[in-house]
Amino acid sequence: MPVKWVLYWQPNQGSTVSTQILNESAQCVESINGVKEGRWKAALNYYKPMLRDQSTHPDLPRDFLGISLADQPTKYYFVIRSQRLVVEADASIQLIMEKLQSYKSKVSIYFDGFQYLLGDFRLRVGRVVPVHSETIRGIVMEVEYLPISSMEKARKVMEEFVEIWHEALSKRSLSGRFVNTELNFGEFGLADTYTPQHTGVQYAIVMAHMIATVQPAARG
Amino acid sequence: MECVVQGIIETQHVEALEILLQGLCGVQRERLRVHELTLKSVPNLGVVSSEVRLLCDLDQQPEPTWTVKHVGGAMRGAGADQISVMVRTMIESKVSKNALRMFYSLGYKLDHELLKVGFAFHFQRTAHISVSVSSVNKMPKIHAIDEAVPVTPGMQIVVVTAPATPENYSEVAAAVSSFCEFLAPLVHLSKPFISTGVVPTAAAAAASLMSDGGGTTL
Repeated sequence: MPVKWVLYWQPNQGSTVSTQILNESAQCVESINGVKEGRWKAALNYYKPMLRDQSTHPDLPRDFLGISLADQPTKYYFVIRSQRLVVEADASIQLIMEKLQSYKSKVSIYFDGFQYLLGDFRLRVGRVVPVHSETIRGIVMEVEYLPISSMEKARKVMEEFVEIWHEALSKRSLSGRFVNTELNFGEFGLADTYTPQHTGVQYAIVMAHMIATVQPAARG
Repeated sequence: MECVVQGIIETQHVEALEILLQGLCGVQRERLRVHELTLKSVPNLGVVSSEVRLLCDLDQQPEPTWTVKHVGGAMRGAGADQISVMVRTMIESKVSKNALRMFYSLGYKLDHELLKVGFAFHFQRTAHISVSVSSVNKMPKIHAIDEAVPVTPGMQIVVVTAPATPENYSEVAAAVSSFCEFLAPLVHLSKPFISTGVVPTAAAAAASLMSDGGGTTL
C-alpha cells in the first residue's frame, strides 16, 4: 500500500480554523492541477469505559479510539495512544463492542472532503466535524505517494512535496499552516512498509494534536 | 446469529465418524488446531459483566490468525422450544495478533483457555454447515499449548454450526436437524448444555462403517 502522511491545519496564535481555509486549500490543490476524483469520508470514535460504580476508577485507558477509513471500508482500527497499541479488525468488531456494553462511544467525529489525483500523488482534503454538528473543528490533509510503500524511501519525496504545497498555499496569505506529525511507528510495532494501521495511528496522533492546539482557538 | 448443536463421541469411534462425514459432505476435511482464550471483564467494568473469546487458528499459513468471537444469548420462547437446535446471536471479527493485549488493556482478564485439536468439514446443504470434531485440552501453565492434556480423555466433542439470520433461521435449523439425523447412529447431537451422552449403538455403527470402508470387521 502506498505511503501516506496525514497533515493537519494549525492556525496561527489567536486565529481560528474556518470553512474559508478549507475552501482555499481545495482551490489551491486544483490550482496546481489536482484532478478532483470525488468525495471521501472517515470516522473516528472516542470510547470511554462504562463503570458500574463511578466512585472507583480502575486503571483503564482514557484515550481509546476506533477509526474507519475511507479506503478500507471492511475494516476498523483501534488505537490506544498511551500504550502505543494499534489493532486492525473487521468492521463487525463494532457490533461486538456494542454487545459487550463495557465501552461506549463518547464523541464521534467525521472527516469529509474531496479527493484529488496529482501526478503520482493522491490528496485528500477534508474538514473535521463532530457528528450532529456542522461546526468545523479542524482540517486534515492526506498526502499519498502512489509508487512507494516504504516510509523511509518515500521520506524525501514527501518532504519535497509538502514544501511545494506550503509554497503554493503561502500565496493565499492564510493564517496558519499544515503540519505533519513526526511519528515513530516502530513504537507501535509497525514496520517500514506502509499499512492501513499506519494511517490509523496518524489519525489518532493528529486528533490529539488538534484537540491540544486547534480546538480552543475554534471555540474562541 | 447461528444455529448450533453439539454432542460427544468416544475417541475410538472418531475415525468411523470421519469416514461418514467424508461421504456425506463430499469435501476434504480440514485440520483443526485452535487455541481458545475466554476473557471476562473486571468487576466494575461494563453495564453487566461481559465475556469475549479470542480464537487463534494455529494451522493458518504463513502465521496463525486471530478472531474475536462474541456469543450472545440463545433464542427463547415457544418457537425456540419447538426446534431441536439452539439459535443464538454470534458475531465474529478477524483481528490482528495483538488483540489479546488490547483486551487486557481495556480491563479484560483471562478466565480460561483451551486447545481444540481435531478436524472440520465445511459444506453447503441448504445452509453453510460446519462440522468440527475435536478433543478439548487444557494447559497446565498459562499459554503452554505444547503441554496441553485432554480435559476428558477418550472423549471428543462434535459441534455442528450454521450461520443464520432472523429471516431464515427456521430453514437453517431444519437443514442442520436433518443433517444430524445422518450422524445419529454414531453421535447424538442436541442443544448445547443439554448433555445426552454417547450413543449406545455407536460401537456397532462404527464397526459397520469401518468394514464398509475396507477397514476392520466385526
